[in-house]
Amino acid sequence: MAKYIAQRIIYMIITLFIIATATFFLMKLLPGSPFNQVAAKLSDAQMEILLDRYGLNDPVPVQYLKYIGGLIQGDLGVSFQYNNRAVTDLIMTRIGPSAHLGAQAMVIGSILGVILGMVAAIRHNSWVDYTSNVLAVIGISIPSFVFAGLLQYYFAVQWRIFPPSFWDGPEYTVLPTIALMIFPMAICARFMRTEMMEVLGSDYIELARAKGVSNNKIMFKHALRNALIPVITVIGPMTLSLMTGTLVIEQIFAVPGLGEQFVRSISVNDYPMIMGTTLLFSILFIGVILIVDLLYGIIDPRIRLTGGKK
Amino acid sequence: MENILEVKDLHVTFDTYGGTVQAVRGVNFNLKKGETLAIVGESGSGKSVTTKALMGLIPKPAGKIPKGEILFGGKDLAKLNDKQMQQIRGRDISMIFQDPMTSLNPTMKISKQIMEGLIQHQKLSKKEARTRAIELLRLVGIPEPEERINQYPHQFSGGMRQRVVIAIALACNPQILLADEPTTALDVTIQAQILELMKDIQEKTQTSIVFITHDLGVVANVADRVAVMYAGKIVEIGTVDDIFYNPKHPYTWGLLGSMPTLDNDEDQLVAIPGTPPDLMHPPKGDAFAPRNPNVMKIDLEKEPPMFQVSDTHYAATWLLHENAPKIEPPAAVKRRMQGFASDHGPTEEGEKR
Repeated sequence: MAKYIAQRIIYMIITLFIIATATFFLMKLLPGSPFNQVAAKLSDAQMEILLDRYGLNDPVPVQYLKYIGGLIQGDLGVSFQYNNRAVTDLIMTRIGPSAHLGAQAMVIGSILGVILGMVAAIRHNSWVDYTSNVLAVIGISIPSFVFAGLLQYYFAVQWRIFPPSFWDGPEYTVLPTIALMIFPMAICARFMRTEMMEVLGSDYIELARAKGVSNNKIMFKHALRNALIPVITVIGPMTLSLMTGTLVIEQIFAVPGLGEQFVRSISVNDYPMIMGTTLLFSILFIGVILIVDLLYGIIDPRIRLTGGKK
Repeated sequence: MENILEVKDLHVTFDTYGGTVQAVRGVNFNLKKGETLAIVGESGSGKSVTTKALMGLIPKPAGKIPKGEILFGGKDLAKLNDKQMQQIRGRDISMIFQDPMTSLNPTMKISKQIMEGLIQHQKLSKKEARTRAIELLRLVGIPEPEERINQYPHQFSGGMRQRVVIAIALACNPQILLADEPTTALDVTIQAQILELMKDIQEKTQTSIVFITHDLGVVANVADRVAVMYAGKIVEIGTVDDIFYNPKHPYTWGLLGSMPTLDNDEDQLVAIPGTPPDLMHPPKGDAFAPRNPNVMKIDLEKEPPMFQVSDTHYAATWLLHENAPKIEPPAAVKRRMQGFASDHGPTEEGEKR
């Protein structure tokens, strides 16, 4: 098992290196320079000094090698827009709200989705099933920013139950979390219903019934675990959609998170900031994939054995 | 011998989008203590549905038992609710399924799957249940049961899995064992082993077995009595000797005629022409009439009642009516009947072993 994880981590590092390389060169294709906004006030000589100072006059391959060199030592460089503050530092101050929001939406969304899907499968072809079906279709097809606007309008402006924006305590997390979790919830509910229907129709559930096992035990001891296996697969892509979701949601609710900062760095060509945030998102995503693979092994003994083989 | 189970005029229907399917249309039989009753018939004849009705496992709400009684231990199982049936399932009546590759829970250890019923019905402690589970695995012939019990189903071969399924079914010493084609999914050598095991266990425990199959070779091997089902009804029922040496129903002739034998030098097997009737609209008269080469006018008009052939042998065909013409079974069937007789002789075969 340890060997398997070590092997996976090596692959992760290689993947990250490839992502860093690709992002670096793509970023260099962006039009403009980090100093566009101040360019008018600066003389050519001053501009030259600035570019020199940040190494932006070097040929791109040299810049690339310098950046990778720094990266290996854990140095992500300094941000151009925030007065030379270290990128690592900036990310650290911003990661809190994003992580909080993401984790909250992910956990609540997937648990609610699984419950919704299970209930729909148990009471299939009843009004519960149809309602959950409609909710899931709405959740999947309507983008999260539409929900964000509606939530703000009704819950914050009309009924004044929750604050509409900013980040100042638990009640401020409610609306952005709901807006963010609707998609993962809908996906989980759809998957869970399909899987649960299939599992409930399987021979081993019938055998459990034939043993005289009660319905509740059949659901939770026999069916749930087997139905969860395919649902775990979607956790990876779901995390990805949550990450991109936060970019928009943080803007709408004025949450001082990473996403909001990331969007701004792209618009002002803050190269080290773009690189730093992209790498962070990549690490998160690759990490989630690893966790998903390990979860498989915990839930499904057939996979555990092959994964654990020395 | 006393009857342990009596099924009277059992009807099972399924509501579908297309209409109501009458899967079982009035089945009568009884099961004696310690005997093996084989139910044979082609796919869709209602044999599996009949056993599911006995277990109370007809999928609801689509499936219903509109009519009929299943008398067991002074109770009518057809009238019990799900909670009451849970008490009976696994304890008094248990079931062996067709495909051992899919009938065990892949994410649960064998130990838990066997112990579950014991803890549920016999209120054993975990430790007692475990000891009993190991005993059961030994009984069904699994080597090193102390180690194997901690494994998952995927670590067992098909034959071994079916032994585990049998162990689960036997856990609470049931009075009736329903075996729904327990050997169909296994290869021939394993089939023989499983059949031997079931006969062995029956001898030790005096369990009554209802054995569903479409393999007549298996029937001759294990059964005391045979019920032939067609289109949701039992068309002929009798001892193994009655059915193999003196079949009366043209459908039974068809089944026997289409059974391959080793000692015949026939070039081809006889097939029963046509297909089984649509049970959404069951035909008037004898359901087998459209496929019967010797069909009579009355077959198309009126359903035949069960005619008694002997004390043990009944068949539902107008051929047994006193005014019916004498129609002999087809030549291929006759040859087979003689073949059975010269191979073993009816008296020996009647002993089952």
